[in-house]
Amino acid sequence: MVPTIVIDGMENGLRVSSRVLDERIQKAVSDGHRRIEVIAYGQHGLGGRIWTSANDPVELRIVGSSGQRVGAMGLPGTRIDVEGAASDDLGWLNAGACITVKGHATNGVGNAMAQGKIYVGGDIGGRGMTMTKHNPRLDPPELWVLGGAGDFFAEFMAGGTAVICGYDAAHGDNVLGYRPCVGMVGGKILFRGPIGAFSERDAALRALDDTEWAWLTEGLKDFLGRLGRTELLKGLTSDRNAWRVLAARHSYEKGAAPRRTMKDFREQSWDAELGKGGLIGDIAFSDRSPVPVLATGNMRRFIPVWENEKYLPPCQANCPTGIPVRKRWDLIRRGKIQEAVDLALLYTPFPATVCGYLCPNLCMQNCTRHKADLEAVDTRILGKASLNAKAPTPLPDTGKRIAVIGAGPSGLSVAWQLRLKGHRVEIFDSRMRPGGKITGTIPRSRIPEEVIEHEIKRIEEMLAFHALNHPLTKDEFGDFRHQFDIVVIAVGAQKPRIIPIPGSERVVPALTFLKESRLDRAKVGRRVVIIGAGNVGCDAATEAFRLGAESVVLIDVQKPSSSEREQQNAKDAGAVFLWPRFTKAITADGVELRDGETLGADMVIMAVGDLPELDFLPEDIKTERGFIVVDDTFRTTAPNVYAVGDSVRLGLLTEAIGAGRKAARAIDNLLRGEVPPDPKGRGNVQTEERLFVIPPGRVKLEYYDPRPRHFEDIASCAANCASCGGCRDCGMCETACPQGAISRKEGEEGFFEYTVNGELCIGCGTCAGVCPTGVWNLVPNEPLK
Amino acid sequence: MEPDGQLRPSSLGVKDLPWQILWDKQKCTLCGRCTAVCPVQAIEIAVHRRRVLQAPLGLTEKPSNVYRVYHGVRQKTDVEHACTGCGMCALVCPNGAIMPVRNDEPDKLRFHINQGGIPRRRGGRRNSRESILDAMKFVRISMLTDPALDAGRHEFELRTLIGRVLPPEEAIAEHGWQPPVREIYPLIIAGMSFGALSPTMWEGLQMGVAYLNEELGMPVRIGTGEGGCPPRLLRSRFLKYVILQVASGYFGWDEIIHALPEMKEDPCAIEIKYGQGAKPGDGGLLMWYKVNRMIAAIRGVPQGVSLPSPPTHQTMYSIEESVAKMIQSMSMAWGFRVPVYPKISATSTSLAVLNNLARNPYAAALALDGEDGGTGAAYNISLDHMGHPIASNVRDAYLNLVKIGKQNEIPLIAAGGVGKNGNLAANAAALIMLGASAVQVGKSILQAAGGCVGSETDRCNLCNTGLCPKGITSQDPRLYRRLDPEKVAERLVDVVVSFDTELKKIVAPLGRSTSLPIGMSDALGIADASAAQRLSIRYVV
Repeated sequence: MVPTIVIDGMENGLRVSSRVLDERIQKAVSDGHRRIEVIAYGQHGLGGRIWTSANDPVELRIVGSSGQRVGAMGLPGTRIDVEGAASDDLGWLNAGACITVKGHATNGVGNAMAQGKIYVGGDIGGRGMTMTKHNPRLDPPELWVLGGAGDFFAEFMAGGTAVICGYDAAHGDNVLGYRPCVGMVGGKILFRGPIGAFSERDAALRALDDTEWAWLTEGLKDFLGRLGRTELLKGLTSDRNAWRVLAARHSYEKGAAPRRTMKDFREQSWDAELGKGGLIGDIAFSDRSPVPVLATGNMRRFIPVWENEKYLPPCQANCPTGIPVRKRWDLIRRGKIQEAVDLALLYTPFPATVCGYLCPNLCMQNCTRHKADLEAVDTRILGKASLNAKAPTPLPDTGKRIAVIGAGPSGLSVAWQLRLKGHRVEIFDSRMRPGGKITGTIPRSRIPEEVIEHEIKRIEEMLAFHALNHPLTKDEFGDFRHQFDIVVIAVGAQKPRIIPIPGSERVVPALTFLKESRLDRAKVGRRVVIIGAGNVGCDAATEAFRLGAESVVLIDVQKPSSSEREQQNAKDAGAVFLWPRFTKAITADGVELRDGETLGADMVIMAVGDLPELDFLPEDIKTERGFIVVDDTFRTTAPNVYAVGDSVRLGLLTEAIGAGRKAARAIDNLLRGEVPPDPKGRGNVQTEERLFVIPPGRVKLEYYDPRPRHFEDIASCAANCASCGGCRDCGMCETACPQGAISRKEGEEGFFEYTVNGELCIGCGTCAGVCPTGVWNLVPNEPLK
Repeated sequence: MEPDGQLRPSSLGVKDLPWQILWDKQKCTLCGRCTAVCPVQAIEIAVHRRRVLQAPLGLTEKPSNVYRVYHGVRQKTDVEHACTGCGMCALVCPNGAIMPVRNDEPDKLRFHINQGGIPRRRGGRRNSRESILDAMKFVRISMLTDPALDAGRHEFELRTLIGRVLPPEEAIAEHGWQPPVREIYPLIIAGMSFGALSPTMWEGLQMGVAYLNEELGMPVRIGTGEGGCPPRLLRSRFLKYVILQVASGYFGWDEIIHALPEMKEDPCAIEIKYGQGAKPGDGGLLMWYKVNRMIAAIRGVPQGVSLPSPPTHQTMYSIEESVAKMIQSMSMAWGFRVPVYPKISATSTSLAVLNNLARNPYAAALALDGEDGGTGAAYNISLDHMGHPIASNVRDAYLNLVKIGKQNEIPLIAAGGVGKNGNLAANAAALIMLGASAVQVGKSILQAAGGCVGSETDRCNLCNTGLCPKGITSQDPRLYRRLDPEKVAERLVDVVVSFDTELKKIVAPLGRSTSLPIGMSDALGIADASAAQRLSIRYVV
């Protein structure tokens, strides 16, 4: 190049500032100069920003010491030739200039270059080709270096091509310097010679393809020509395999950082060092492989259990007689009405009399349905229907003889049960007629006579009854003990209890009154006061009204213990209840209370309980407070003598009947020698009596009509019985199970059960949640070791 | 209401519970997954009865009732089955039909959770989202004043020193013995015992730590907690990455002693635990149902018995004796080659301990555990109301060391709530600038690496019951097998690698790439004048 103008960076022995030198270059261009030589003294930014060069090219030759940023913001059409070396940031933000440096260049070559070309005839310093761009509208930038690159080459490079020839490089063992390509996102580097580690996350190493090789060999000619080193071409292109390419990875290739998989690490390093099974392979005793969160089989936390009849329904549990109420309704639901009715006679000789009329029906009082304010199913209907029950056939004769003294409810119960078990039972009673209080004192208003007649007749057909016609004597009792294997005392409580207060001789004992009244021989006053407002007091009250009393007042020292039904009957008849009231004396005027008040009366009935008449008892049978002492099996202190009913403890008819049943079982066991006598009654209890009552929350009452109603017939009672704890065989569980894990299995004689396939079940408890009867339960699975 | 229709003082309704189950009848398929997975059986499939009153238009016919039964999810309201909000139901529901939602007012359960006179016990955390560490900002951004670094470009090797660094003159005077010093990563996985954690969780964390060391060159260390150490680990090269803990229960130490002659590597350090930030002044108790055959083997105890770690070491009577006895004994066991340091709950008396350690050349560090730490089991009262915040405690300790000229000699290790709200690196960096040489992180790691669903708003926190729905703290194979140790290890690696990037982002503008800005409090600012004054950091608004 022959310059048309030479601009000297030194003037009058002084260095021209970078600003002034640049102004002179710009002026020369505007003056029409197109070939300019600059004698530089380290001025910055020479050759950049020649705005017109794109259409009218300008050549610039720099001799002397070029300063930093030669060709910064260079434009197309600008050609810059630096005869010696170049300082930092050569071609910074180059936007199209073609810059050639014959010697080395220092740090930051081509930083942020977007177009144009830079040719360097030696090495370049650190951070070359960083932040370069490739504007899709224009050709990409190029950097050609004859030697090698310094450290941190091509950081954040985003476009263009760098060619590093590795010729005579200062560090020939690593022509790209330390850690090139960090953050590189575009462009590529063609290089020749060995390199060290580069950012593998950002760039990939490969061989040149044919297009690249052709482009390289063509470009090298131009490059070397500009440097005047064409003699090197042959050497640089003699071995294509000496050249390789580092190209930016695409963003989608960067996602998978080249990390060893944990599985591989676990197998090859972890387990290899620790041994099979890893950290605790030597002390863990079971499989530790992952399981799904919704596991089946043995991995379930909870498992469903079909607890059919594993809990007592409250009706049965609260029946002192122990009648299996739930089972009876179940039989009715299955259409086995006669069976349901007959079943009662296995438990009581008085199913109609007691369950149907005289019992306060503890079964109904405790019915689960009350928990949801529903009416209890009416067991009285079932009781009344039992009038038609057929007596069971007794077991074969055992030859054992038993005397039962007293033909009241408890005596008849124990005799009935023992007879059914095949023993020979004889009943003795001071009265002509069996039935005790049922036939002797309970008012006729409470039960039709024919019901009692029917049931007494049924009993008489089964049992031998002897009327003694007189109170039992000690001698007679002694004889019974000799003649019979077992003697059962069931004489009841026949001696009215009278509180010794002034004027007590004026009172009529309730028992006497009721006995007389039943025979329609009783006399009643106009104004009656009854001391003691229990069930007997209530009976006395209704009878008093029946016999013509105008007013009846019942007083008690505490809240009356009579059942609600009995109280209501008395109130309906007109009785008034007062409590607490404490009697001071009984006078001609009536009952004088401790608080000074006098309740006017012309008849005072005392109903504070009765005591047994036990004059016949020998010394070896102990009593306490007038009652016979028994153990849990109703055995007295004398061997082979048992006692039941009111002679042991005052109670309801159903309690007397229940006592008779339990005593009979103990006696039967004793006579058969199957179970050794045990005062605690252990071994003398049936399985069902050991069961707990079902927790009420398990029974789902939402399945029933919530409207208040009275049950009219057996069928609707049976349908509305919640069958607490006993499967209704409704199939709800089978249908509801989301896993289809539950199935019904049928056996012989109507036997069925519901079972769970553990391999399908996830232990969700839907079966337990939907089961109407509370039979299904969700329980924790067996702990795993 | 109770099943018998009665009310009791502790009869609660859904509205009284801290967590309420929202169930959508329209979306539910009655698949049973939610009830199967609920850890406390808070929900059940139940029978519901619905009544529709039918009145024909114009009343041309007699109105009637139609009763229908339907089935669906019902939330139990008794204390024992109160929903803990773990959200497992929502996790497994295929239709998004169920979710626990927090009560919009303080619950009533808290007044009834002491049934039988037993105060509430639970696992987890303090139930407070407050964090002074979160409030701190890094205000020194030295782009032009210091040689600023680029976290994404520059190479970093963030390391810290654990061990006593004696001044040269003292080191020479000490008959040639140099206290052992470890160059480790400043994030330490805090000691959580084999027992408190499930075997899968424990192995996963250990595996992850080994991977970080051996595959990524990050010298991360992990504490054992007080539950012994599996015999295989004691005899492996991985022991190098482990800080063995000895505490008042001395569990597993006979096995460690037996293993001593067979150890290929020394452990990183021995930590003597005197206290825990989450339940200061109280001990630990591993419930009997967690002590299975495996735990028994590692701890050297009979199976199926509850294992108490008393609040105090039974034969320690003073700081002096504690330091002299324990530090010396533990140092002696490994021939004075292993750093031994105590860990105490942060307390207003921390400086007394620190000053004592400063006089003992065998004391390698002091670990301070703040009130926001987690625990597998503690009384609620200890968790929520006892303890000392870590920030001022570590700051006081550091400034005290500065005062006596030993700030580069006894490293302080800070713990307790680091990353409690998910800001792991920011919290760690704040503690480092307050004066900590390293931080210990426990529950934040359980959340990230194990998938713990607990929260500072009393969600789940079932750790003590053995019912952890993620299998992190359970010893029941049915629960812990839900957790794959490999996946735990992978997550731990993710957490630490991303922590490293975040920490670099904070320290790069300070020009730090190797040494940590320990105690560099002029880089810390807070928009709370009294906190700034108390901590001697910048008040910035």
